[in-house]
Amino acid sequence: MFKYLRTIGIAAISVFMVASCSGPGEIHEYSVNDLEFSLEGPLFAGPNSGQAEISIDLAEALGEGYVEGMRISDARLTSATVTPNDTLGFANINAFIVSFASDNEDVSMQEAAVKNPLEEGAADASLAVAPEAELGEIMEEGKVYVVLDADLAEDYWDGNRDFKLNFTLELTIK
Amino acid sequence: MLRKLTFLAVSAVIAFGTLSFDLQQKSEDPGDRLVGIWEPSNGRSRIKIDRIGNKYYGRVVWLIEPNDPDGTPRTDINNPNPDLRNVPLRGFRMCKDFVYQGDDQWSEGTLYDPNNGSTYQGTITMRDMNTLDMRGYIGVEAIGRTDVWKRLKMPSRKKK
Repeated sequence: MFKYLRTIGIAAISVFMVASCSGPGEIHEYSVNDLEFSLEGPLFAGPNSGQAEISIDLAEALGEGYVEGMRISDARLTSATVTPNDTLGFANINAFIVSFASDNEDVSMQEAAVKNPLEEGAADASLAVAPEAELGEIMEEGKVYVVLDADLAEDYWDGNRDFKLNFTLELTIK
Repeated sequence: MLRKLTFLAVSAVIAFGTLSFDLQQKSEDPGDRLVGIWEPSNGRSRIKIDRIGNKYYGRVVWLIEPNDPDGTPRTDINNPNPDLRNVPLRGFRMCKDFVYQGDDQWSEGTLYDPNNGSTYQGTITMRDMNTLDMRGYIGVEAIGRTDVWKRLKMPSRKKK
C-alpha cells in the first residue's frame, strides 16, 4: 500500500546563490532547477502526489561567504514553475500545488504555490506563490521534502506521470 | 562459464535478500497502518492518508459535492491565507504532520476544517485496522470532538 502511495522524486538540482545585504540578515536567492517528480501509476482522477527531497547546505551554497554558525532565519518562495517531463505534457491536469515539509515534529507542512486552473495547451505552468508561507523553519532542517500535487481530470492507468519543478527561494541568513 | 553463473546466482540471492529486507522494513513500520483511504462519518468526503518523511498527511480525494453551484470546482475559500483561497478543495491536505507515537496513536498533527478555515490540533487513534477516531481540539484535548472514520478499499481498474 505504502509503495503505491509513495512517489519518488529524483533530484537533479542546480543551485546558485545571489547575495545582497539587508538589515536583520543577509538575503540570498536560492534556486533549485529540474527537480524531478514521478507520480506513480495507476493514478486516479483527483489529486495525486509526488515527492522529492532537497537539502540545503549553507556552507556549500555560500562558499567563501559562509561563516560557522550561520543559519536560515527566514525563507519565502518567490517563484515556482512546473514543466512536463514526459510525452504526455499537461494532458488532463487541472491544477498543481507545491508544498514543503520536514521531519521536525514541531514544524508544519506549508503550501507555498498553486496553479488553478491550468491553461489548456500550456508548455509550462508558472505557479502563483503564497508570500505569506513561512518556510524558514522547514529550510533550516536541512532535509526538506518538496511535494507536488497534481489534480487529474480522469484516471490514468498506463504508467507514471513525470514533471520537473524549478523554484526560487529568498533566504534570510543570520 | 561456471564461475559466471555462480557469480550471477550469488548476486541474485543478495539482491533478492536486500529487496525482501527492504520491503519487510517498510511493511513492518507500524505507523504505516494509517496509510489508506478513509471516509469521515458524514460520508461527504474521502481522505487519502499517506506518509511524507516520518509524518502522515491526509488529502481530500473525493467530495460528494466537488463543484460550486456554478459548476466550477470548489476551492478553499475560507483559507485564512488569501493567497491560498484558489487551492482546489479536492486535493486539499486537511490532516497534517501526524507522528506515530506507538499504541495505535498518531498525534502532534493538525486537522483543518475547510467549512470555516479553522485549524485544530488533532490526535488519531486506530480502534482496529478499519476504524479511526479522529479527535480535533483547541488547547485542551479533553475538550474537543471525535469523528469516526472508516477505511475504504482501493478502487480496482474499471472494465472497458
